[in-house]
Amino acid sequence: MDTLKIGASARTPEVDFDFDANVYRLKGECYPEDIAEFFAPLMDRLREHFARLRGARVDFTFELIYFNSSSAKAILGLFDLLEQTAKAGNDVAIVWACEEGDDIQEMGEEFAEDLTAAKFRLQLGE
Amino acid sequence: MLAEEMYALRQVLSRNGIGYCYSGCMTEEILLGIGNAIRRHMQAREADAKTSRSVFAVFVEQVQNVIRYSAEKLDGGGPPEMPFGILAVGDLDGDIFVSCGNLVAAADVPRLRANLETIRGLDKQGLKSLHKDVLRGDVPEGSKGAGVGFIDIARRATRGIEFDFTPVDEASSFFTLKALF
Repeated sequence: MDTLKIGASARTPEVDFDFDANVYRLKGECYPEDIAEFFAPLMDRLREHFARLRGARVDFTFELIYFNSSSAKAILGLFDLLEQTAKAGNDVAIVWACEEGDDIQEMGEEFAEDLTAAKFRLQLGE
Repeated sequence: MLAEEMYALRQVLSRNGIGYCYSGCMTEEILLGIGNAIRRHMQAREADAKTSRSVFAVFVEQVQNVIRYSAEKLDGGGPPEMPFGILAVGDLDGDIFVSCGNLVAAADVPRLRANLETIRGLDKQGLKSLHKDVLRGDVPEGSKGAGVGFIDIARRATRGIEFDFTPVDEASSFFTLKALF
């Protein structure tokens, strides 16, 4: 089984990637000291894996409570990768889970504005 | 005498509505510790959830700006660098505020001032689109709209931002940024 699981820390989200099922989840808060140190290895794994996919179904769920501005940049980069993966002929579904009316919802909607091939769905809690 | 002095300092802070104040080396541990205290404080005050999150988010951006950009660092004989700064969080006359200050190189003042003037002059929509441009890398950081951190602060500060500079010596100025909610 090809998976990547990293527990949440005080300032980084839980990572739960299942490369066989193509089900991915980031859950928690993200405001690390060095975003590249946390994010770059994840992006490398995803980029390498997604490059090989054709006609696959990819589910990516973001359940973020808070992220800082450097993380926003990294997340937007991940959206770009998901969009490219969709354009390469995969069925990519992004789920953005958050509380209704909070700033995370607004950020998600702004990130989603540039998506044409990947699907985006808000999953609103109370 | 000792207690009087300390109490007087606390009274100065109280009169200015300052609930949290830290001056010294700004580190990631400080950020995490004070950040958690501020979150609990906001919860205890039963501030609305959106304001609480915005205050916390601005606190993080402000402190990370000091950590990254303070021109005054304690030389610990090697890494990690220990940047100096001051932080004040509180509420006065109905406004919650998060202020940070640090030394900057005098040569950087015109650029910082111009960036912050630009940001302060933008409306909600303008800030949103500049934010996206900077996140996308279409606008190089530090050119038109300063770092993405300043824009994030301006977007979240519902009652706006204030900033100021005062010369300290020939080479440096003290910079402060205040976000209001």
